[in-house]
Amino acid sequence: MSSVELRKVDKHYAGYHALKAIDLKIEKGEFVVMVGPSGCGKSTLLKTIAGLETINSGQVVINGHDVTREEPGDRGIAMVFQSYALYPHMTVAENMGFGLRMAKRPKAEIDAAVKRAAKILRLEEQLDKRPKQLSGGQRQRVAIGRAITRSPEVFLFDEPLSNLDAALRTQMRVELSSLHAQLGSTMVYVTHDQIEAMTMADRIVVLNKGQVEQVGSPLELYANPANIFVAGFLGAPRMNFIEARVETVGAASLTLTAAGMPAFAFGDIDPVGISAGDAVTVGIRPENLHVLERADAGQASFPGQVRLVEHLGRETVLYLDASPLQATNSDSGTGNFTVQLNKVSPISVGARLTAGFEIAGAYLFGPDGRTLTSRKPVPAT
Amino acid sequence: MPDVSEDAKLQRALYVGGVTLVVALWLLPLFAVMLTSIRSNEELMAGNYWGWPQKFSLIENYTAVFEQTAMLRFFLNSLLITVPSVIGVLILSTLTGFVLSRYPFRGSNLIFALFVGGNFLPAQIMMIPVRDLMVRLGLYDTVYALIVFHIAFQTGFATLFMRNFIAALPGELFQAARAEGASPFQVLRHVVVPLVRPALAALAILTFTFIWNDYFWAIVLTQSDAVKPVTAGLNNLRGEWTSAWNIISAATIFVALPPVVMFFLMQKHFISGLTMGAVKG
Repeated sequence: MSSVELRKVDKHYAGYHALKAIDLKIEKGEFVVMVGPSGCGKSTLLKTIAGLETINSGQVVINGHDVTREEPGDRGIAMVFQSYALYPHMTVAENMGFGLRMAKRPKAEIDAAVKRAAKILRLEEQLDKRPKQLSGGQRQRVAIGRAITRSPEVFLFDEPLSNLDAALRTQMRVELSSLHAQLGSTMVYVTHDQIEAMTMADRIVVLNKGQVEQVGSPLELYANPANIFVAGFLGAPRMNFIEARVETVGAASLTLTAAGMPAFAFGDIDPVGISAGDAVTVGIRPENLHVLERADAGQASFPGQVRLVEHLGRETVLYLDASPLQATNSDSGTGNFTVQLNKVSPISVGARLTAGFEIAGAYLFGPDGRTLTSRKPVPAT
Repeated sequence: MPDVSEDAKLQRALYVGGVTLVVALWLLPLFAVMLTSIRSNEELMAGNYWGWPQKFSLIENYTAVFEQTAMLRFFLNSLLITVPSVIGVLILSTLTGFVLSRYPFRGSNLIFALFVGGNFLPAQIMMIPVRDLMVRLGLYDTVYALIVFHIAFQTGFATLFMRNFIAALPGELFQAARAEGASPFQVLRHVVVPLVRPALAALAILTFTFIWNDYFWAIVLTQSDAVKPVTAGLNNLRGEWTSAWNIISAATIFVALPPVVMFFLMQKHFISGLTMGAVKG
């Protein structure tokens, strides 16, 4: 068990700034998920911790020890790859014992370590098989087993579940979480799937274009995104965004207008640096957008037409077209607003309705994307 | 095949007929050599080249190859030249291919280009320099001259072959091995070599055939019967005035056997899709 610290880690490829002076501290035993869209640098960052990628400047420190110039094999890490990267010519047992064999450890020790890992991962029956005889989930477990046998200080996972089907992914998510609880090791996990990030992480690191956007617990990030990028990245269905314009600036409030909406006031914000005429963005989570029986004077609302209805059993997701209102939610392409109802709804495609939201549950982002609304309470766990 | 129209039947017949004709033409010289190798010399003198042999001299001709000529010696020389050359080429090209595909360094592309470019040089322009070199090295007219030359000459193509094969292996396998602390040599031994076995088998057959069948360098770099390989040796069998074509044919068949045997020996290593299951899929 070790801590991992990145100090001003910078990485350039030819003409491309992949990592921009990244500072990050991962505590002992922590499960940290690095999440972001493809090309954000999350896999590169993981490989710099592993030592598979060199860095142009900065330091990688594992357990207080500067390992920036050390070979991957000497860093006390083990890595699990998206493609599993199992050796096809070796049996499951040989695959899992590979690292120890390369380190020329005694055979008895290797066998014991392989057996222990196989037991944890329920692979005892598969030890003599070859990777191609296994299912995708089993292969992924072998890859994890190969990491476990070396008893590493830090586990590094590079999108390990993205090749599995949905049902298996859910199952493996639970297994990885319980593995973390069982081993107590430091784990760094890279994914582009925000559900994996929300469900598994002690802390989430949101990356974008080679920079850390925000670090925090899943619920903290969900309740208090630092900027529009984090707000849009975490949460499914995605947050709705309305493009609005500042009319008047008050002491702790703003009056906004948006096409097709009556002017509405946004309170409880810090309007420093905001002036009348600025373009801002209002963010509303789909669960905070409601279908109104009648337009209420006190509530921000807009008319819309239903383009698509998804019945998920207990929940219903409505996709609305609310033109001329300018929105930047392109989750489905069928409508630019998403409403999530916690009930089965009789509303059908083509219906015209009024959607509304409470200002208190909404977010406001400034012209630079920074969150202007003050902190919202984080549900206790 | 149900419901094949008349048109399709005709096309099929033309196709089969065409293929048969091409194969027959292709095999005709080989067939002629085989037929000649079992005729008696008298019959050949009488001009019976294509007719049914009146007398089968199979045993006589083939025993004559060993009793009346030095073919056995030439055959042994060929093995002494070819086997070490093939092994040398395989070892060197695996090493160069591994480094050039997985450890790029400044100038590595230039080196690779030299390996590849060397293949395009006509062998003839090197004839005199290579002969002079071997004379000065004191290797002229020894099997070592041919071994050294063939290893050097074949490694260019073999490097291209192995580099591309190793480059096509999934990159994450190498990253995984490195993350597990395997040294480059351990990666080569435990990951690369087992996975490129089909490529090595194919390369072994190719280079074996090239080197075994080489005639040009055999006559450039050797002189005495004690070192001559079979290709140059076969030429020895032609007499000054007359040639015993039946004996030469029998010797030719004998000489052609090793590459064929080699092919069948290596066939079992051509297991396609050996890397299946390494990564997803």
